[in-house]
Amino acid sequence: MNAIEVNHVSKSYGKVQALNDVSFTVSPGEVFGLIGPDGAGKTSMFRILCSLLLPDEGTASVDGFDVVREMKQARRRVGYMPGKFSLYQDLTVEENLQFFATLFGTTIEAGYDSIRAIYSQIERFRHRRAGALSGGMKQKLALSCALVHQPRVLFLDEPTTGVDPVSRKELWEMLGTLRERGITIVASTPYLDEVRRCDRVAFLQEGKVQGIDTPELILERFAAVFNPPGLEPSATQSQATEKVIEVSHLVKAFGTFRAVDDISFEVRRGEIFGFLGANGAGKTTAMHMLTGLNQPTSGTGKVAGFDIRTEYEQIKHHIGYMSQRFSLYEDLTVAENIRLFAGIYGMKDSDIKAKTDNVLRQLKFEGHKDALVRSLPLGWKQKLAFSVSIFHDPAIVFLDEPTGGVDPATRRQFWELISDAAARGITVFVTTHYMDEAEYCDRISIMVDGQIRAIGTPDELKHQFQQPDMDHVFTFLARQATRSSD
Amino acid sequence: MKTFLSFILKEARHILRDRRTMLILFGMPIVLMLLFGFAITNDVRNVRTVVVTSRMSPQIQASVERLSASEYFTIVATVATPQEAERLIRDQKADIALIPQHTHSQSLPMRVGSGCQWQIMVDGSDPNMAQQWSTYAQAILRDSGSSSALPLKEGAASFDGRIPSSTQMHSSPSLIGNSGGGSIKLLYNPQMRSAYNFVPAIMGMLLMLICAMMTSISIVREKERGTMEVLLVSPVRPLMVIVAKAIPYLVLAFAILVVILLMGHYVLDVPLAGSLVWIVIVSVIYILLALSLGLLISNIAQTQLVALLLSAMVLLMPVVMLSGMLFPIESMPQVLQWIAAFIPPRYYIQAMRKLMIMGVGIHEVLNEVIILSAMTAVLLTIALATFKVRLE
Amino acid sequence: MLKYLLQKEFLQIRRNAFLPRLIILFPIVMMSVIPWVMNQEVKNIKVCVVDNDRSTVSQQLVHRIEASNYFIFTGQQPTYSAALHAIETSKSDIALVIPPNYSKGQAQVLIAANAVNGTKGSIGASYLAQIIQADKLTSRQVDISSDAGSNSSTHTLYNPHQDYKVFMIPALFAILMMLMCGFLPTLNIVGEKEAGTIEQINVTPVPKWAFILAKLIPYWLIALFIITACLLLSWAIYGITCQGPLALVYLLAMLLALFFSSLGLIISNYSETMQQAIFVMWFFVVCLMLLSGLFTPTRSMPGWAYLTTYVNPMHYFIDAIRTVFVRGGGFTSIAHQVLALTLIGLTMATWAVASYRKNN
Repeated sequence: MNAIEVNHVSKSYGKVQALNDVSFTVSPGEVFGLIGPDGAGKTSMFRILCSLLLPDEGTASVDGFDVVREMKQARRRVGYMPGKFSLYQDLTVEENLQFFATLFGTTIEAGYDSIRAIYSQIERFRHRRAGALSGGMKQKLALSCALVHQPRVLFLDEPTTGVDPVSRKELWEMLGTLRERGITIVASTPYLDEVRRCDRVAFLQEGKVQGIDTPELILERFAAVFNPPGLEPSATQSQATEKVIEVSHLVKAFGTFRAVDDISFEVRRGEIFGFLGANGAGKTTAMHMLTGLNQPTSGTGKVAGFDIRTEYEQIKHHIGYMSQRFSLYEDLTVAENIRLFAGIYGMKDSDIKAKTDNVLRQLKFEGHKDALVRSLPLGWKQKLAFSVSIFHDPAIVFLDEPTGGVDPATRRQFWELISDAAARGITVFVTTHYMDEAEYCDRISIMVDGQIRAIGTPDELKHQFQQPDMDHVFTFLARQATRSSD
Repeated sequence: MKTFLSFILKEARHILRDRRTMLILFGMPIVLMLLFGFAITNDVRNVRTVVVTSRMSPQIQASVERLSASEYFTIVATVATPQEAERLIRDQKADIALIPQHTHSQSLPMRVGSGCQWQIMVDGSDPNMAQQWSTYAQAILRDSGSSSALPLKEGAASFDGRIPSSTQMHSSPSLIGNSGGGSIKLLYNPQMRSAYNFVPAIMGMLLMLICAMMTSISIVREKERGTMEVLLVSPVRPLMVIVAKAIPYLVLAFAILVVILLMGHYVLDVPLAGSLVWIVIVSVIYILLALSLGLLISNIAQTQLVALLLSAMVLLMPVVMLSGMLFPIESMPQVLQWIAAFIPPRYYIQAMRKLMIMGVGIHEVLNEVIILSAMTAVLLTIALATFKVRLE
Repeated sequence: MLKYLLQKEFLQIRRNAFLPRLIILFPIVMMSVIPWVMNQEVKNIKVCVVDNDRSTVSQQLVHRIEASNYFIFTGQQPTYSAALHAIETSKSDIALVIPPNYSKGQAQVLIAANAVNGTKGSIGASYLAQIIQADKLTSRQVDISSDAGSNSSTHTLYNPHQDYKVFMIPALFAILMMLMCGFLPTLNIVGEKEAGTIEQINVTPVPKWAFILAKLIPYWLIALFIITACLLLSWAIYGITCQGPLALVYLLAMLLALFFSSLGLIISNYSETMQQAIFVMWFFVVCLMLLSGLFTPTRSMPGWAYLTTYVNPMHYFIDAIRTVFVRGGGFTSIAHQVLALTLIGLTMATWAVASYRKNN
């Protein structure tokens, strides 16, 4: 008997067809990947399999139970981690985990083995409220909550968005052990290395199954989508020596916890500066100080020539910022969002109009000018957010994990936008968990435990630590983290 | 069972962690009781009076002095013409103007009364208060001439206020008692304390709002944050999710009920004449009703904003206005009386007034209890039937 | 810059599926329904009679009660205890006991009224007593004129028909402004906090005052709409029009809207969740309303409570709007209320700007 059977399932929301005649089967104990660009219908598929949505047509069964007629039995056998899973912000880490463990009829102790690799990293924060965790740590906690029980079938909708490379590897090792226990796993992911770890994958595009096969064959067949030709490392290596960011001995402490612990670095004009680090290493906190959202505890810094401690309002005239959380107004249209932010920066109406058309053309968004941002797929939103953040031609743009959860083709387009901006002289300060993206940066710093452990060009770093690629450099450094054993 | 307990624990934590909301939840009943008990009164007191006269005769002088000696009136000005007096009233500098008419003063010395006719000009924007003010003024002005019992009309009208306090009763210029018409007996509340009337009303309003608002928000928040999906897909039955959500709020509402009852009884001296057991039982039925309403709101609302506005504004107005807590239902137009028949707090408030103040047995409130139970059953059924075990 | 922020606020309100409907329908429904409700007149009191006399005189009395439009006659009860039971089961509010020798003029009737609601009980009882009195007088041909003894007459200004609606409609303006211009902004900033969009705004150079002003202005326009709708409806449905200059009504409404929307934004700035914000706002609103003189005269309050009215903008508004709307006062009549409202409003607006933190 197959663990999952999907027969001719279709689902549409109004005029939008999310799924169109989808059929596939998954055998017990298989790790099955559901991949495809944003808006391909992956989340709808997950929801139907979890009996949260009714298919318009077709049938689906999980562990032998029809998801429509035998909803109760089906629900007893599945575990589900939704894409936008959020925890109870006002409960502590441990309380969250305990609640979900009990919810699934188990205990933290019983399930500890299956989450050890990830939970041990956040365990020292177990009395902290979930709302106070950094983005990546929240995701790890969410994963722990989803994995603490062992259902017959596990559905994971992009479980690793925002998770650093080291933890991603650990997660997939964990999934491997679950699989050995006969648990069927269906996961979606934008990471190619994760796709390769699946037994079989189904490639969805525009609601249709384009192919189901082993990862290698699929990635080969649809190489155009998954493996776009690498970006030329920006030839216009900036030779300018003018420093746009200077930071020395910067510290941010929350009580006794030093989130950012004495960092110093410089960024030159026109550079693409990669600001890497594991989850909770202090990247976002550092970025908040540079953008004037937070005051440093001690140390000095200058951004675009202004002091971050006293002249933070002036800094804001010269920077663009794109936060980890998508933060355009979802209830405004594309054009309205652009107009709002351009207007805030004091641009003239006529300039805004002309430039909006330009930008939309560049993004190939002309047809969606008046679409509500809410209705756009994630990758589009991120590209739009980036374009908005550089619309007023700032000296520096800060990007906090701009490509989290975005599919490879869109990421590629995103980086084209970034290098265009850099070529126009905009300094790009970017954090990312994609190590292939790190290779595109002019210079990189790697933060561990609130401190910068390495800084230099990608080649210099590879050479310095004698590792073949950035992924290995990162893993090498991040594994030295000691904070988790505090 | 363990799952159930852990659910309740989680909800309890949500409530307890939000200190500010907790503070308001318990501060609200206390402040409301204190305000209604001590600050909000309809007593006639400090009425700003202006006397219109160009010539102070001794008789007028005497009347005016008597007036200002009373605690009810304060003479704020003496002006020459009624026009000036009216301006003062219009400008909110005075509430009432007294204009002596000198027609009979000398010619009819034997006439009962001060021998001086008064015209009273009163700010009528608040009709009840206007009537009361003029009645009090008339009574004082007349008292001067005759110490005889006042005609019932004035005596009655002096009670025309909505919330007269007991102190006013003893010192008011005229008392209800024996009169030509007959004797009047004020049952259950002989001192006419307003607290007897509003404590049940506050219970009805607060329990409804807190339960409905808190449950609806807590459910909608889970929808908004995406945790509802996980709860639905988990092996826990949806019914249990709802029941577990309701229990902490039930306990909370109960705690608030106890606070109100204790304050009412010990601070405001409101009797608990009837059986405490039945007061509690009826209250629990009512709390369940409010919780069902909250659940229903959460089924309709997709965002916290809508849930909050629905429960804070759209629900609040009929509860306050049509439940008979502030305005008598009998005086409303027929259509509104029909609508008011569907407002649950109305029955609860009525039942509480009877049980607490009148001290009747359960038989006398059977009607209200049956209606409340039926409403609870209907609302709960609708709420459960519309509860979505799937996403839209 | 303000222009763009304003545009955003309006678009967001318009795009919401629920808000525009609420903003338009709520005041209209309230204005059409609530004035009928806000009526403290005592009417339709249910009376039962225990007639121990059973004479034509007592019969006549019962007929009189039936004919009165204050009372609803709910029938005869055999005994006093049966009548009490009728009161306990809400079948009656008042029991009238006519003694056996009533027709001979010897004994007095007993009026037993349910006084849990003191007003209703006592007013009902005294109305009934009046009827009995009148009945006695007419049936015995006593000359009433000698008894009247009235040596004073009352002239009621501004509201000659003693219509409660005249008194309550300005109060309703205040309640509507409070609900719409108070609750909506309360949810606004905290909503942006929960959605995360505030962070994007905070890294832009937008001045604090512009951000807050852009959030205040839409509520002024909503206030304008509400007050216009209220004035029109009050004229169309109840035939009650403003006695003083209309411009002053608008001025007062704007000032009150300034206060309430600022208060809402302040609470929103300090709150972490929408639930917290709305509860805190609710608390303030109830206290401000009860202590404002909206339902009961402020002068009757004890000293400590009266002191709070000096900082209660709702009190100034209620005083001023009744002066203008009911008494027909001009600007000079309400100058000090306008001044107080302006001061309080500006203080709150400044506080709203100061409490919005772009940086921590």
